[in-house]
Amino acid sequence: MPFLFWIKTASLFLVRSRRSTAVLILMIFSAVSTLIFLASLAVGINDAMIRNSVSLYSGHISGFNLPVNVRIKSLFTDGVSNVLMRIPVPGVVSYSGKMAAVTLIAVDPVEEKKSTAVWKKIIKGKYLEPGKNQILLSKSVAEQLNAGPGETIVFSPDHDSPPVQLALTGIYNTGIYQLDRDIAFCQIAALPSKAAYWNAAIFLNDAADKDLILAGYNKAYLKKSLFKTWSDLMPDLKQLIDLNYISMSIVMVLVFGVVSLGIACAFSIFILKNIREYGIMKAMGVSPYETLLLIFSEVILLNLTASFMGIIGGIAAVLMFQKTGIDLSVYTSHNQYFIVSGVIFPRLTAYSVWLAPCLALVFSVFAAIWPATLVIRTNTSRILRSI
Amino acid sequence: MARNARYQDKYLQNFKEHLKELISINCISKAYRTGRGKVQALSDISLFVETGMTLTIMGKSGSGKTTLLNCIGGLEGPDTGSVECFGVDIHALSNRDLSLFQRRNMGFVFQYGNLLSYLTVFENIAFPLILNGFRNKEKERRVSELLDKMELSDAARAMPNELSGGEAQRVAFARAIAHSPGMLLADEPTASLDTETGNKLVKLMLTMGKDEKCTIIISTHDQEIIKLSSKSSYIKDGKMKGPENE
Ligand SMILES: Nc1ncnc2c1ncn2[C@@H]1O[C@H](COP(=O)(O)OP(=O)(O)OP(=O)(O)O)[C@@H](O)[C@H]1O
Ligand SMILES: [Mg+2]
Repeated sequence: MPFLFWIKTASLFLVRSRRSTAVLILMIFSAVSTLIFLASLAVGINDAMIRNSVSLYSGHISGFNLPVNVRIKSLFTDGVSNVLMRIPVPGVVSYSGKMAAVTLIAVDPVEEKKSTAVWKKIIKGKYLEPGKNQILLSKSVAEQLNAGPGETIVFSPDHDSPPVQLALTGIYNTGIYQLDRDIAFCQIAALPSKAAYWNAAIFLNDAADKDLILAGYNKAYLKKSLFKTWSDLMPDLKQLIDLNYISMSIVMVLVFGVVSLGIACAFSIFILKNIREYGIMKAMGVSPYETLLLIFSEVILLNLTASFMGIIGGIAAVLMFQKTGIDLSVYTSHNQYFIVSGVIFPRLTAYSVWLAPCLALVFSVFAAIWPATLVIRTNTSRILRSI
Repeated sequence: MARNARYQDKYLQNFKEHLKELISINCISKAYRTGRGKVQALSDISLFVETGMTLTIMGKSGSGKTTLLNCIGGLEGPDTGSVECFGVDIHALSNRDLSLFQRRNMGFVFQYGNLLSYLTVFENIAFPLILNGFRNKEKERRVSELLDKMELSDAARAMPNELSGGEAQRVAFARAIAHSPGMLLADEPTASLDTETGNKLVKLMLTMGKDEKCTIIISTHDQEIIKLSSKSSYIKDGKMKGPENE
């Protein structure tokens, strides 16, 4: 009952000192909603870097050395959006007396077009067409052979299978070193001999937990095959993303540090403006503990209200841009982490929603400590004599 | 010999019982360090007030009336001396115990700005009742009774800034005696009012104080009030000039 009484009194104070409360709420509201949006944007940028990096070619999880009796279908589990089969065959390509060592990767062009973006990176000719004996060369290999689309290329595998003739359909260039060097693509059916093993590129939905899915694969196939996630295969990207989170958190703490100075001043004024009220209460026998209870109830109630509104505002702003995305291609066109698209889709996560309101609460409670101590330390008669 | 001791015991017992009925101020002094140097606001003041009595403290501006009342009410501590209210040395209490003692036994009316400006008239008067754990029904009954007596029934929902000075002081008085405290301390309660309104308020205070068996200590420089009270003291430059009429 007394506890509830203080909370009720605190809310009456807040509701009835309309303007001061409104100003404080506005400050916290705008800080919280802005930071929620910024944090969601940071999450969106990380998402975009991952999406760009995995959707160019490799997928979220790569499986190596899968026996042919493992079916594509069996790799589809919860959260998996697509599985691509790839069969690498080392060998030599030759054209009019010139030769180059390559890894020819046999793929399913229809499925590749659904999930990857190499087909968008054709600089001459066309991408592989289903059902044809064609080869797609990287720019560096094509330059070594000095061949153009329409020419016939001979591929001789390293093992005993006989050489095959393939029509050069196009030349690609992704800008990613590992993909642009010594690589060629063809249809699975165009391979000279049946392979015993294949590699898998596994694509996941945005919110799927890659480590959980990886654990599932490892449990089922670890004996013969090897599975790795993008963070193992692209440690640079992993680091960049961690760095992004850390710098965002630092920015948030700094921004809130500065904002909280403003909030601290406002809270001090808000509390000290009412010091006569607290003085009158002290004279009526309100104990120091109850005074603290009242002041901190005011601060916390105000904060919860403002943070709640800020969360709604922040979420609304994120939802507004979640469908259309924010196009930053101008700033990402020369960046290997944005090779496919520079459109950012802000995304809400526990991190982006809760960090700002939690910081707001912590900072404003800290901000209230000084004026609250002043109120209970100052002699009642001095409070009542001033003003 | 034994008889004598028993007699002394009994005497002491009686004396202690008697103390419980008293507010006794024993040789209190208070000095302030200010820009003008040391100001002796109170020097060596002693007073006794019995239950149900009304003590008026007279004195010019700056003579130390507010300081004395604040010391009696525990709002500030004297440098030396003690204040015993109903047998309790209030300046020896911890902060918490002093708060509990004040909320149970004391009511204050200051010269101006008495009311909690964010609470309505009703909520202001109910505040000490809630602090003292009155039940809802009792609380409402008591507040409406007081509003009735103060002729403020229609102002129950008004905010303090919507009241006239006289009305505000009546609300302050109602709040001060709402929880039937043993003592009421009023520091120039009529200073911001015109003579007629002021006299009306004081008369109301005195009659209601009698009804509630409340000891009243009131400071003023209004001669009219002295005539109405049972005892008065005069202070000048922080020194006691003795009771003028008993
Ligand atoms: N907090 C303080 N700091 C310094 N000096 C003070 C303080 N409070 C009171 N005094 C001084 O103590 C003396 C007594 O002041 P007090 O307020 O008790 O007088 P008063 O009789 O109530 O006067 P008034 O009738 O004007 O209210 C004055 O000289 C005043 O200047
Ligand atoms: Mg005074």
